[in-house]
Amino acid sequence: MARNKFDVDEELDTPFSITHLKRLFVYIKPYKKKIILTVLIMLIASGANLIGPYLIKQAIDEEIPGKDIPGLFLLSAIYLFALIITGICMKYRIRIMSQIGQSIIQNIRKDLFTHLQSLSFSFYDSRPHGKILVRVVNYVNSLSDLLSNGLINLITDMFSLAVIIGFMLVIDVKLTLLAMLGFPVLAGIIFLIKNAQRKAWQDLSNKQSNMNAYIHESINGIKVTQAFTRESENKRIFQEVSGEYRSSWMKAVYIQFLLWPSIENISVLTVSFIYVMGISMIGDGVTVGSLIAFIGYIWMFWTPLANIGNFYNAIINAMAYLERIFEMMDEKPTVTSDPESKDLGMIKGKVEFDDVVFGYEGEDRTLKGINFKANPGDTIALVGATGSGKTTIVSLISRFYDINSGSIKIDDVDIKTVTIHSLRKQMGVMLQDPFIFSGTIMDNIRYGRLDAADEEVIAAAKAVQADPFISELKDGYQTEVNERGTRLSTGQRQLISFARALLADPKILILDEATSSIDTETELALQRGLETLLADRTSFIIAHRLSTIQNATRILFIENGRIIEEGTHQELLNQKGHYWKLHKSQHHTLEVS
Amino acid sequence: MHSLRWAWSYIREYKGRFALGLLLVLVVSALNMLNPYIAGKIVDDVIYGQQKNVLGPLLGIMIGFTFFRTIVRYGYQMTFEKLSQNVIFKMRANLYDRLHKLDFSFYDQTKTGDIMARMTGDLEAVRHFTAWSIYMIFENAMILLFAIGFMFYIHPPLALAMLMVTPFIGFFAFRLTADVRPTFTEIRNQFARLNSVVQENISGNRVVKAFAKEEYEIQKFSAENGAFKEKNLQSAKIWEKYLPILDSLAGVLTVVMILAGGIMVIHGSLTFGELVMFNSLIWALNNPMRMAGWLINDVQRFIASAEKVEELLKTEPKIMNQETEAAKVKNFNGVVEFDHVNFSYGEGPVLKDINFKAKPGQSVAIIGPTGSGKSTLVNLLSRFYDASSGVVRVDGINVKDWDIQRLRDGMAMVMQDIFLFSDTIEGNIAYGSPQSSLDSIQNAARLAEAHDFISALPEGYDTIVGERGVGLSGGQRQRIALARAILKDPSILILDDTTSSVDMETELRIQTTLQSIHQCKTRFIVAHRISSVKEADLILVMENGRIIERGKHTELIKKKGYYYNVYKNQYGNFDHKQHGKEVI
Repeated sequence: MARNKFDVDEELDTPFSITHLKRLFVYIKPYKKKIILTVLIMLIASGANLIGPYLIKQAIDEEIPGKDIPGLFLLSAIYLFALIITGICMKYRIRIMSQIGQSIIQNIRKDLFTHLQSLSFSFYDSRPHGKILVRVVNYVNSLSDLLSNGLINLITDMFSLAVIIGFMLVIDVKLTLLAMLGFPVLAGIIFLIKNAQRKAWQDLSNKQSNMNAYIHESINGIKVTQAFTRESENKRIFQEVSGEYRSSWMKAVYIQFLLWPSIENISVLTVSFIYVMGISMIGDGVTVGSLIAFIGYIWMFWTPLANIGNFYNAIINAMAYLERIFEMMDEKPTVTSDPESKDLGMIKGKVEFDDVVFGYEGEDRTLKGINFKANPGDTIALVGATGSGKTTIVSLISRFYDINSGSIKIDDVDIKTVTIHSLRKQMGVMLQDPFIFSGTIMDNIRYGRLDAADEEVIAAAKAVQADPFISELKDGYQTEVNERGTRLSTGQRQLISFARALLADPKILILDEATSSIDTETELALQRGLETLLADRTSFIIAHRLSTIQNATRILFIENGRIIEEGTHQELLNQKGHYWKLHKSQHHTLEVS
Repeated sequence: MHSLRWAWSYIREYKGRFALGLLLVLVVSALNMLNPYIAGKIVDDVIYGQQKNVLGPLLGIMIGFTFFRTIVRYGYQMTFEKLSQNVIFKMRANLYDRLHKLDFSFYDQTKTGDIMARMTGDLEAVRHFTAWSIYMIFENAMILLFAIGFMFYIHPPLALAMLMVTPFIGFFAFRLTADVRPTFTEIRNQFARLNSVVQENISGNRVVKAFAKEEYEIQKFSAENGAFKEKNLQSAKIWEKYLPILDSLAGVLTVVMILAGGIMVIHGSLTFGELVMFNSLIWALNNPMRMAGWLINDVQRFIASAEKVEELLKTEPKIMNQETEAAKVKNFNGVVEFDHVNFSYGEGPVLKDINFKAKPGQSVAIIGPTGSGKSTLVNLLSRFYDASSGVVRVDGINVKDWDIQRLRDGMAMVMQDIFLFSDTIEGNIAYGSPQSSLDSIQNAARLAEAHDFISALPEGYDTIVGERGVGLSGGQRQRIALARAILKDPSILILDDTTSSVDMETELRIQTTLQSIHQCKTRFIVAHRISSVKEADLILVMENGRIIERGKHTELIKKKGYYYNVYKNQYGNFDHKQHGKEVI
């Protein structure tokens, strides 16, 4: 899949379909009983509400002309009682509906997030992270009103519509049918608006996503922006992106707000029509009293209808978000555990690559037939030019990507046949790009093994020579750091990340340029400390400084996705091949002065 | 009130349109009374009165006015939508602006997710307020005033009796305002936390997977997600406490009217017709009071969000241009001088009494243990932080007196932590100089030893690299970042650990080219490999924030100090005898 950037709209694979609503309904279903309860509460409330006008009519017609003051007090008391009932109903409606609405939102977001955890690197690599963020947080939020108030209003409106139509039918069937003439017109208009509106909202959600992606990236890259004084260029681009969002918003509301005036005008036309027809039918089966009653209802009839129209509007808008949410939930992880896969069990640490071929995103082959075997406790070093495939080889051991052909075995078990979780939890990986979570340094190291005691965390930090600098900080291990690694140098972040990998107590340890930004002194101290720690682990080390790796059990020299030389440091020097040349040139660079 | 004034400062620009919008709201509220009136007239005159000839004109008026009213209504809705979009557009631009003004110390302490929350959810709440709440409040206030005025005109005693209820409504409205506000603030804060936890999970997805910590992440997320729900429910708890009371109190108005009015009619101090008129107006009193609770919620939600937006807008960077414009127009030579510079991030000192001078064309290398202050030192040069004491001078002028843009324009820096944008490779290299031709971009890539691997990619320079440059190896990213710096053709080039992931052969070639093309430029090189630093005109060895040794490679070797040890460690690992040479 091609990579997406901030200013490229994302194409949607699935067209609008009723299935989205059905899926949404799955989230609503568990709260069926509560929703029914709320509808009942609403019915009681509207019953109590209806008493009001009746009481006033009673007072004006009977008690006041009759100068019946006690009667007036009685009516007032009944009215007050009705108000209390309405109040209580409202209280419970608010309570139950906020619970339902918030719970549904919580569940959708949780499912989405949980699914995200199962997605592979390639998913995260192929789109701006801001676009993922906006779906999990903002899009899901935008459903909240629809799911709480919208839903209940829909049900109660449908109910009152049915009641009103029922009353109208009782009064006069013919007039009722005439009153319905407005329906097909309204349906036609809604249908016309719908397509345009849907497109407009899809466009809007795209622009919103693009804008958020740009903001997100701007924040993360701010240091580069400031260093290169590109502020004004960025502002210009942002004006554009933000302007596109504004105009797509306006386009969407221009269309969306047409619905309401349409409904009102149709309703007035229908009502006028009924006046004309009704009046001409007086005496012809229609009485004055029934006509007046009928007209009273026909005005009431349009209010719930307009509300339903509005709900429909809201659904259309929400659909633009909903389909994005579901699209993401449908995203298939490219690397998955086979359903029949079993737990890997405690491993010894034997690793075997058998004719492994691999290419990123189906592109050119990055690895072209890799073969090697590492025994438990071995230290395997990978050397070679940048981009030769070293990082790729070690990422395959953790099964971050699936290979095109060949096999990778750990303790003679193909890693495709075991659960990903059982595989990865036995690896300690130190990535090239050390990532620091916001929290304390202690938490960051402990990420490797959550149940580790403070002493164990500190021991790991000591082993990688991180303890001296951490202890010097005012708050020591409790120092708060954040994603960008607040004021920690890259070398320090590497050490923390190294400690994290070590704390995981893995059988297989992968160090991808673990020490590239660490000074030689620290590195040497680190190596001395590591010797014992690495003794019973299989480790893979990528490094450019040959001094780092010359004690390795075996060195693999990688070029263009192939292993072109392998052996111990001494063997390779004796071969007088690529490694020897590399060694000589490093020596040479140091020598000449 | 403060937030309202702040919002007004943005709306003011459109005050003509704003006033027009409110006027149209008034027109529509007045026209709203027309249909019931005509409907009543039809019943009275046509149905009961049998004047069939007026039916046509009455219906005509009703249809005509409805059409007119709906158009006007659509008109003001669009007016407020447009107005709010313009206001938000401006706010967003200002926020974005501010984000670019804020300095490193702000970003060291602020989470991306928090900023994102302000730029999205909080701005949305402000938008909702300007697009909808403002005119709803106005409309309801107008209807209420109109009804009260009319009632006082008809019969002051009854009107006064009814208004007895208003202090109670006022009391509860006040309580709601006071109680609900903190809940909205908490919702917004929790929203920011939720944003942060998701944001970090996405950014750190590689670590999450490498350590198979998906379950833990889900737990962490669920806690924030659950808290977000709880905060919302806490707010709803306040609503459920007050909104029904307000609603019922609005109903009590009707009870007072019928009871007090009824008694007055019975006693003869009020006519029956007047009571009927009160009754026909009661909705105009009822509805706005019912709405009051919801509108108060809206306003409080707006204030909670507006405060967060405003807070970000008001955050001042510590590093700003001086008032004086002394050093704005200036030829850049590249003389750099550190004069007794001390620096601290707030805790202990990071740089202690740094002194050195670099002439144009010189290269200065900095070497030393992790955390010894190397990156900090070069960060002071671009004025990403200000020295706590002492002076950093560029071309003899204190960097604090430079125009920051001009100062940074003359420099190019490759940072330790390489950041690439999700853009094409071409776009990434041209980041600092967007107008560059493809030729010059490719040339810069060649100099950075990046052209070959870029050309080998299927889409070459048009390859889109993922956020942070995923898909490229560490060394490849470093070389793209280097090309980006070279393309800018700076007077001072700063390479902070730029070639740590590049193999030594490539590194050597890069160094040779840099030396040849940048002879007239001042270069700073932070590195750990002796091979990266040994050609420098001046090597500074740092430890614990101090320069402990300085000089050229040969001088430092002779000193047999820290540098010599590093050299020996890196060099001494080679088999000397094989080459038959001694160290030195």
